[in-house]
Amino acid sequence: MALGGTVRGKKTTLRLPVEADLESYNRWMADMRLRQAHRVWHEPAMPATWKERFKEIAKEKESILWSIDTDGKLVGFALGHLWTIGNAFDVIHFLIDPDEWRKGYGFDAALALHRYLFDYLDLRLATVDLRADKPAGIRIAEKLGYAEYARGHDVHYRDGAYVDEVKLRMDKETWYERWGATEREYPPLSAEATR
Amino acid sequence: MFGPRLHGENGVSLVPSTLEQSKLRLRWMFQPETDRFWGPRFGEMTEEKQEERFKKTAEDETQIEWTITYQDEPVGFTGIFDIDWVRRDGESGIFIGRHDLFGRGIASEAIRLRTDFAWRELRLHRVHNWVAHANRGSRRANEKAGYTQMGLFRRSFFRSGEWYDEWLGEAYPHTFPDQR
Repeated sequence: MALGGTVRGKKTTLRLPVEADLESYNRWMADMRLRQAHRVWHEPAMPATWKERFKEIAKEKESILWSIDTDGKLVGFALGHLWTIGNAFDVIHFLIDPDEWRKGYGFDAALALHRYLFDYLDLRLATVDLRADKPAGIRIAEKLGYAEYARGHDVHYRDGAYVDEVKLRMDKETWYERWGATEREYPPLSAEATR
Repeated sequence: MFGPRLHGENGVSLVPSTLEQSKLRLRWMFQPETDRFWGPRFGEMTEEKQEERFKKTAEDETQIEWTITYQDEPVGFTGIFDIDWVRRDGESGIFIGRHDLFGRGIASEAIRLRTDFAWRELRLHRVHNWVAHANRGSRRANEKAGYTQMGLFRRSFFRSGEWYDEWLGEAYPHTFPDQR
């Protein structure tokens, strides 16, 4: 599992991460705009350290990492965790380069990722935890079909103060109600396909 | 890392785990009597793997763990895990492996000792946890130490034809009952 394969959106593509992406990962982790919006995956470090981290994530059986591209340009990454029993997925990191914000890449890549989770992996549910003071992420999640199931109080510390954490989930049924008619990995098999 | 010795009421103590105590989990964690609200009752539970886990726990500065003893016998374990020292937040957990001792208040006292330590010695700001909603004993034990509900995770896992929800709790120094 570990490194994710290609998942195509309309504007973006989630693809297999490669070593050349690590320089951008490092730059993002050093960007205060991202650090205040998002938890840090790893602290900024030398290239050799990032290569080690990359090797480690490739070995993890229950985590999946994708790089996010648009027209061949790296614009973000996503990392999630499959439950031990394998029927659900926690979105742990989902970030877009701050210089590329407000272009619709976040929603497009998130929609493609969830199509993969529900329409391809046939998972039961997905979860995500977001900072309550970051409405852009919450809006994307709610538009996808996520709903809040819990709120942690004073969880994250940023800019000298605590902020709440919103915990959200989306079940397979919601995905199919909202997106089943339009979002499929593959078209239906033709009647002749299995003859 | 392992926590220091903390002596509580009614013969309950928290002690730093030894390797021998740690290996008791291989037996405790794989029984239907203890796994109704736990799981999934399979895994790489060899003695070698347990030694590896023990060493990792000892070296890990983001978790603190104890063996629970009752009348000087090891009966379970508890700890605070994934501690974020910037946010000063961690996830707590407890497992009583001796199901013949359920209902004696051992978990309540262990949680009280652990939570008190989180505030007085670790200077944490918050601890949180997930407990099966139907595990009333565990939920009550947490509530007595100041945990309050922050949400419910519906249909979390499935046992014998029924979905089980999970109760999400959180506690702060100001929610801890003054028991001095």
